[in-house]
Amino acid sequence: MEELKQKESPPKWAVRFFRWYCNDHLSDAVLGDMEELYLRRKKKLGKRKADLLFMWNVLCFLQPFAIKRKSSPQNNIAMFENYLKIAWRTMLHQKMYTGIKVGGFAIGLATCMLIFLFIRNEMSYDQQYANKNIYRLYNEWRGERVGHWTSFPANIHTILKKDYAEVEKAGRLIPFKWFNAGSNLIRRDDKVDNTFEERFGYADNELLDILEIPMVYGNRANALTKPMSIVLSKKMADKYFPNEDPVGKIMILNEDKTKPFEIGGVMDDFPANSHLQFDFLITLANVEFWPGEQTSWCCWNYNAYVKLRPDTNIPDFNNKLTSMKDTYLLSHLEKNGDQSLADEKAHHFFGVQPVENIYLSWEDMGDDHADIRYIYLFGGIAVFILLLACINFINLSTAKSANRAKEVGLRKVVGSFRSYLVRQFLTESLVYSFISFALAIAFVALALPFFNSLAGKQLSMPWAEWWLVPTLALGTLIVGIVAGIYPAFYLSAFKPVDVLKGSVSRGSKNSALRSGMVVFQFTTSIILIIGTFVIYKQMDFILNTKLGFNKDQVIMIQGANTLGDRHEEFKNELKQLADVENATSNNYLPVWGGNRDNNGYWKEGKTKIDKPVYGQHWAADPDYISTLGMKLVEGRNFDEKLKSDTASIIINQKMVKEMGFKNPIGERIGNWRMYTVIGVVENFHFDDMRQEIRPLTFTLDKGGDIVSVKVKSKNMAGVLPSIHQVWNKFMPHQPFRYTFMDESYARMYDSVVRTGKIFACFAGLAILVACLGLFALSAFMVEQRSKEVSIRLVMGASVKNIFRLLTQNFVKLVLVSFVIAAPLSWYMMDKWLQDYKYKITITWDLFAIAGIMSVLIALLTISYQSISAALANPANRLRSE
Amino acid sequence: MKGTYLGEFEELVLLTVGILFDDAYGLAISDELEKLTERSVMISSVHKALVRLEEKGYLKSHLGGATETRGGRDKRLYTLTQAGIKVLNQSRDLRNSMYKQVPKIVWDNGYGRA
Repeated sequence: MEELKQKESPPKWAVRFFRWYCNDHLSDAVLGDMEELYLRRKKKLGKRKADLLFMWNVLCFLQPFAIKRKSSPQNNIAMFENYLKIAWRTMLHQKMYTGIKVGGFAIGLATCMLIFLFIRNEMSYDQQYANKNIYRLYNEWRGERVGHWTSFPANIHTILKKDYAEVEKAGRLIPFKWFNAGSNLIRRDDKVDNTFEERFGYADNELLDILEIPMVYGNRANALTKPMSIVLSKKMADKYFPNEDPVGKIMILNEDKTKPFEIGGVMDDFPANSHLQFDFLITLANVEFWPGEQTSWCCWNYNAYVKLRPDTNIPDFNNKLTSMKDTYLLSHLEKNGDQSLADEKAHHFFGVQPVENIYLSWEDMGDDHADIRYIYLFGGIAVFILLLACINFINLSTAKSANRAKEVGLRKVVGSFRSYLVRQFLTESLVYSFISFALAIAFVALALPFFNSLAGKQLSMPWAEWWLVPTLALGTLIVGIVAGIYPAFYLSAFKPVDVLKGSVSRGSKNSALRSGMVVFQFTTSIILIIGTFVIYKQMDFILNTKLGFNKDQVIMIQGANTLGDRHEEFKNELKQLADVENATSNNYLPVWGGNRDNNGYWKEGKTKIDKPVYGQHWAADPDYISTLGMKLVEGRNFDEKLKSDTASIIINQKMVKEMGFKNPIGERIGNWRMYTVIGVVENFHFDDMRQEIRPLTFTLDKGGDIVSVKVKSKNMAGVLPSIHQVWNKFMPHQPFRYTFMDESYARMYDSVVRTGKIFACFAGLAILVACLGLFALSAFMVEQRSKEVSIRLVMGASVKNIFRLLTQNFVKLVLVSFVIAAPLSWYMMDKWLQDYKYKITITWDLFAIAGIMSVLIALLTISYQSISAALANPANRLRSE
Repeated sequence: MKGTYLGEFEELVLLTVGILFDDAYGLAISDELEKLTERSVMISSVHKALVRLEEKGYLKSHLGGATETRGGRDKRLYTLTQAGIKVLNQSRDLRNSMYKQVPKIVWDNGYGRA
């Protein structure tokens, strides 16, 4: 029977489909009709055809008149309209709470967006290369000390191309200040006046190909192949050769007319997010800085970039690279009898790093690169500030729940499901979230210029990107739901009977959770405060510690190398000026912009026995030590009148210690030539304070790029014009360029100062958000206890009593936060300070100040509400009963 | 309101409901129409017209008259309302008066040939 029925009836799924879409009015009747028709057809046409026709009929009914209406859409829209209306009314009704909710949220979001833009920019460095197989070579020292650096001997590129099949292309680069790399005076050969330009580098032609540098004029294949050719950036080409093709034109560097440079091409400006920044690239073709330099393994001054074959296995390649050491370096050392041979053999390794990782690499390669730890740190702070803002939102929503309880009760009584209420509250929080996002975008737009100058970046909202608007929309949705989900479920859970009877205590439920959130907010804030303190104190220490030289009231006249043999004349003329105490000309200065080098030193006769002591070899004239206010602890200064002083050397205390001298005066030390020690200078800082002071020597020499002038009076502005005059007398065609030594010194710590400022900003924002929340909470609490306060006042409580009553809970919470924050921040800042060899000790007073500050801030925040409650006339409050 | 305009097919359906009197349901109407007009009629268009006519107030319906062949399902039985009868009358009167206004000569032999 079943089977029979099965055979006679039309296909079941078609029936089910019809039932699914068809409305109740027609469903039965039409299905009956169709079944009648089906039976009739089956008799006439057979089952198959009847089945097909039945399906056709079902499809034919798929028209608006027969389709089920979704359970009244108009009604749904009406509900949403109602939700929005209620949300709007609640917002207007409680302007302060709304302001704090939305404002706090917006601040949190804006901070997040800024940090996101910042991180995005940091991550975008060197991502522009189409070929991902480009690498830079590095050295690694795996001994007691671990270190990385990137310079290699001059013949590295020929070895790479000859011995390594993996290397498709290899090119060298000199990116640091060395000979003409760095900064120069430059002019067209048909003009007279020089201009000072920076961002010079030496490069092989092949480097242009490896780094895929786009050319505006000239050809990448041969722009730098000719000796003495130079490539300009587009910016510079526009500056010196506006509206013309400068290829083949001649430029003169530093007034050296014997060595004119021919322009081989014009490259596009380097993008801002590239680890390399050059305006001028000078060819390395046929360059030899001194005889034999190009083939010797003595001196490591070249960075090397390679393009590898795509199938290269990097670890294997690194091993192969290191084997280069045995063939070349070790044999070089052996030949010279160098005692560092064993160390080199054991600890020195070579490797390659992808160019796209250079900017954000973990290891310090000596680049001016970002620290990925700061990226993580700032990302973390962004998340925390957003959390603080979300917590405010949740806290305020639940705290004010009593006001909504009646609404919830009533809605339930008239038949609202809990799911509807959840939806209502989520809608509300989405509305808040939407407004906050809009505000946040406005904040970001306002804050970007300020943030850019703070972080030294050019960030902007990437409106042109397709993903921005969807991401913002998604963000609105997620944040709205995350912040709204707890209040939604909390508020919708009220039992109507309790609410309408009035037995729901006015939002006091869950005060433990609320306290927990306040503690969390203040812990975060206090950690940031202490962090800021420590960073600022370390900065202050760096800028004001005893350096071993006097950086104040020193003017550094730049570009003095063009004075040639008139250095002494110029110096003497300066010294005639009334306000000038002393002047020295030099390349090596203990601040930013001074040269650095590294040489091995031995005691006389021990060259092939001892390991070398590495130290700086600085050239100085007799005025150097007195101009910079350094102190000779033993011996004497150079004396111009003594011919023998060209073979004399002054060393610092560190060098004395490393050499193990008891009586350094008269000892003989040297590198490739020997000097007699005539003086010992007190240790002074010439490196970043992250490093220990290293050994250093001075030998007598005259001339240099920079003339440093020590000024007597504090009125620098008054002295400058007279110095300028002297300069113009000597160098009429060269602009007078100067810096102040204390500023150049501070420049060494730019990044620290920057980090400190950014940190202070974030700390301020976090405290602001936390205080907004605390303010609203205290207002709520005062309102909640207004009757109690009034009665107490009537019974004779003093304003002081009331104030204490209302504030002590919050102060307790802040104290708890402090107890949590102190050890955490101590640990974190101790970690940070470990980067520095010379650092402050974290003392208890920092914590005390931070603690007192946070309690004071909290007290100030809540006292307005508390005092106004205590001062209010109790009669007004109690009259309503 | 879409107006009470009566389409040609709607008018035919309305008349068929009148013809079938107490057994006017979808399939029967469809059968009757096919028989009378000698054109094939889609069951879905009949139902569509019925729904619309009911919305316009010319028809009313109730469920009833289930049979074995229908899988035991009720029919939706339609009957004319006063308004339905009125609109049929109006429609017929309009036709008659227009018919009369056509000059005699038109009906004579030969005019319509070309």
